[in-house]
Amino acid sequence: MRPGLQHRRLRRRLGALLIHAILGLGAVFMLLPMLWMLATSFKPPPEIAVWPPHLLPRAATLDNYRGLFSAIPFARFFGNSVFISLVSTASVVITSMIAGAIFAKYRFPGRSVLFMLVLATAIVPFEAYMIPLYIELVRMHWINTYQAIILPTLVMSFGIFLLRQHVASAIPDELLEAARVDGASEWWTFRRVLVPLSGSAISAVGIFAFIQAWAAFIWPLLVANTNHLFNLEVGLTAFQFRFSTDYGKLMAGSTLSTLPMLIVFLLLRRRIIENMALTGLKG
Amino acid sequence: MTGKSPSGRALGRRDALALGGAAATVAAIPTARADAHLTVWTGYPEIQPVYQAVAAEYAKTHPGVTFDFFSSQLRQAEQKLTAAVPTGTGPDVYDIGTNISVNFIENGLIDPNPPEIDAYMKSGPWDKFTVDFLTVDGKTYGLPFLEGSRASLYWNKTYFKEAGIAGPPATFPELIEAAKKLVKFDSQGRMTRSGISLRLSGQGSGIGEKFRYLLAATGGSALERTPSGKWHNGYDNQSGRDSLTFYVDAVQTWHIDDPKVLHDADAFATGATAMLFRESWVIGEIQSKNPNLDYGVVPIPAWKAGMPHWMMLQPEGVYVSGQSSNKKVAWDFVKFLTNPENGLRLTEVTGWLSPRTDIDWKPLLAKTPQFKTFVEPPADIKYYVEPVLPPWDEIETRMADRLTAAYVDPSLKGNPQKIAATIHSMAQQTDQILKDANLYGTS
Amino acid sequence: MSVSTLDRPLPRPRPRGKGRRRIARHAKLWLWCYAMLLPVMVIYAYVRIWPIIRSFVLSFYNWRLIARVRPFVGLANYEHMLGDQNFQIAIWNTTVYSISIVLISTLIALPLAVLLARRSRMSAVYQTIYFLPVITPLVPMSIAWKWIYDYNYGILNYVLSLVGIRPIAWLTDAHIALWALIIMGVWKVLGYNMVIFLVGIRNIPATYLEAASLDGAGEMRKFWHVTLPLLRPIILFVLVTATINAYNVFTQVYVMTLGSQEAPGQAVRVLVYDIYQNGFEFFRMGYASAEAVTLTFIVLGFTLIQFRAFREQETT
Repeated sequence: MRPGLQHRRLRRRLGALLIHAILGLGAVFMLLPMLWMLATSFKPPPEIAVWPPHLLPRAATLDNYRGLFSAIPFARFFGNSVFISLVSTASVVITSMIAGAIFAKYRFPGRSVLFMLVLATAIVPFEAYMIPLYIELVRMHWINTYQAIILPTLVMSFGIFLLRQHVASAIPDELLEAARVDGASEWWTFRRVLVPLSGSAISAVGIFAFIQAWAAFIWPLLVANTNHLFNLEVGLTAFQFRFSTDYGKLMAGSTLSTLPMLIVFLLLRRRIIENMALTGLKG
Repeated sequence: MTGKSPSGRALGRRDALALGGAAATVAAIPTARADAHLTVWTGYPEIQPVYQAVAAEYAKTHPGVTFDFFSSQLRQAEQKLTAAVPTGTGPDVYDIGTNISVNFIENGLIDPNPPEIDAYMKSGPWDKFTVDFLTVDGKTYGLPFLEGSRASLYWNKTYFKEAGIAGPPATFPELIEAAKKLVKFDSQGRMTRSGISLRLSGQGSGIGEKFRYLLAATGGSALERTPSGKWHNGYDNQSGRDSLTFYVDAVQTWHIDDPKVLHDADAFATGATAMLFRESWVIGEIQSKNPNLDYGVVPIPAWKAGMPHWMMLQPEGVYVSGQSSNKKVAWDFVKFLTNPENGLRLTEVTGWLSPRTDIDWKPLLAKTPQFKTFVEPPADIKYYVEPVLPPWDEIETRMADRLTAAYVDPSLKGNPQKIAATIHSMAQQTDQILKDANLYGTS
Repeated sequence: MSVSTLDRPLPRPRPRGKGRRRIARHAKLWLWCYAMLLPVMVIYAYVRIWPIIRSFVLSFYNWRLIARVRPFVGLANYEHMLGDQNFQIAIWNTTVYSISIVLISTLIALPLAVLLARRSRMSAVYQTIYFLPVITPLVPMSIAWKWIYDYNYGILNYVLSLVGIRPIAWLTDAHIALWALIIMGVWKVLGYNMVIFLVGIRNIPATYLEAASLDGAGEMRKFWHVTLPLLRPIILFVLVTATINAYNVFTQVYVMTLGSQEAPGQAVRVLVYDIYQNGFEFFRMGYASAEAVTLTFIVLGFTLIQFRAFREQETT
């Protein structure tokens, strides 16, 4: 073999090795916080505040997990998170489907005005209008209720856009026309044509809505006054302030709060990544 | 517990009579049975167990009364109450600082005390000063629940002995000298033990409060009240300047404290600091974290020999909500909560002081002599109080924002003009907040 | 992309009857649209449009949650805000935070995307790993990171000590705290940006790259002269949206620093925290609304920059 070719092959292999080293290091950086959290959750107290710290527990224990459920109403927090996220997801999916489909395929007076309104208000961050919303809820005597917590999460402009995008590009008008020509009512067309054909976009919106609702923090922090309404985020934070040195339990709680999202992601990651990129680029 | 049938009711009352006869610890006068559910909120998570214990006692003589307790950190408690109380979705009973309650009172969200409560309050269990503190426009509101301050100096006897210092400092110059001897550094120059743990960082109003210990010692105050009832800053003067200079020097010149070292009660309990200005609840912390700690408590030193010792007072009330649908039962419970036995229980369990004057502290002092300065301060101490006005928290927090930066600002070290300018700017901000709230006045 | 109905007139119904029926059909369609849209728009109006409008209105009042009198004060809140040290610090910190996160994460994400652009099983695995932080909820991860940053026992200081660096007070040193938050922020958002770039790179027609290879260009040249220019619009998109998202930072700042006893205070004061403190600690909701409106305009500004630059992109 000619020496030049050997040289180039070696370089390419070294190059590949270097790339893998960098990617690998990066991957470790990405995973380390979660692994550290997981590992600490199984450590008994003497192993936690120790120097030098070690990754794996030497006397792994489930005490932190057991203690977590008795120290704070963790199960309740978890249940609240699930409940709130599910309701929010359902609502977002329904409203996004309806609004998205109608904005995509129908023309009627006022359509552009309404859509502009949705567009214009979509970029305003939640933190910028949470105060008037809060005041309104105080007026409605809805502070410290489930409806208060769920209210702002009922609609998601991103969902409307995603579905509008999808319906406009993936569902040919001919299908709708054909249905109409056959005498079908609009409602039938919606239910039997538009919705089923939007399956993938609906699931994408649903997943995003769920992830976002699960992680809701500042709003529940403001409107949930008593324990029984706290979701995981707020409950964990309150717990952290009170027991700032009980890291074992804190990590156990954090692990359990993160796990559902990880599972959802690992099961559905292709769907998530595909659709996320889709909207990103047509933006 | 809430048996609705007639037979259930009769049983309850008979049981209560039997209990009352057998164990004379609680005044078991069976009251008219009132089925009620009381929600109680507190801004002190560590006091919630006391509430629960008191409620359990109360329930023995008042079957049919059930309770729901909820506690959160003080800041959150204030926010939640402020949202909930005006809408009637708040608790029946709550404890809160006067800066918040005065706002509620002004807006009619707390009723003046019923006549019998008012009479009870003025009949002697509390000193005139405490009663006046909870009086607005001549009417009393709430009952005094705890004394939130009387902050004093905790000193670690072991460290003092080790450093060869005879006793706790009585003046600030002595304190500085002692702190210099008590501070410890490791081989790399990191501070491992502070001479005194000052409040250099953290929750805003706490910083402001600890700064006020200095302001008082040096003869000033955060706010001054005018005869017409208006307010203005009280520290744009030598007192303010001296106080800030003390902090700046402590961190940058004498190196007796450092923001990176462990702080506060945690630090004192675990031995990371030799001295600490704090309230009585730290005793509870020490009992749970490090019961073998050898420490003492004395009043905060005088600024110089010959000047008085100052002690901050901060009575806090427990209130019955104006929107409660169970006011009678709520008041009954609140009276019970603030009686001498439960006042003692509060102090024993949490370290927070009961402001009652008729508690016999001897058993407590026998067990924990460190309480002496708190419950029986020396006669020559002078007192000052927390100002009572709605924007007080904002004023203190804003002061704190400036202070944390100032303490570690190297350009302030040895620079009296800059210190004066900083104090002046802070004072202007304080006055601005007062103006925004229509409370500013100089006469 | 198919031409949507929006650009064409409504489909003609089968010629069945008189003109009246045609109008009736239109009306019926419109009615259906309104009926369907109504509940959605009502909710949207109640939870979003109306509060946004009210936010503007509130900002002109001295509005406290419990107060008998809430006077109109015109621009006083805004004047006060501009002169307020806390606000200035908040704007500064938030700007530094978001620009840093965006620049650093983009600079790392872009090469990563290039490295992973070739479809392979390892690539898919790496993609998953890098994307994981994105979907983790902020609060638990903030708590985990707080422990990692711990001055005395944190693993980060331990790793540094292995290379001889003295322990750093990550979350309590006023000079470092913001950077500690930035590092965590980059960790969280890196995967997201990377995936967007990845899809963009994969969308580049292979022919362009092949042509460049044939011309003798090596990997680096191909990247600089083919990939990068074609990615400009996407990079732009990422820069702007990431900046907007970073501007709203609150949760991790609150959980890791400001809510606790050892906060580095002003060093990590961000805009949303200032809004939160003014609105819900001091209950000065009119003033906090003025800050909220400012936040809105800042975000709007960034969005307009993106649109403008994007349009320029299209015309060049």
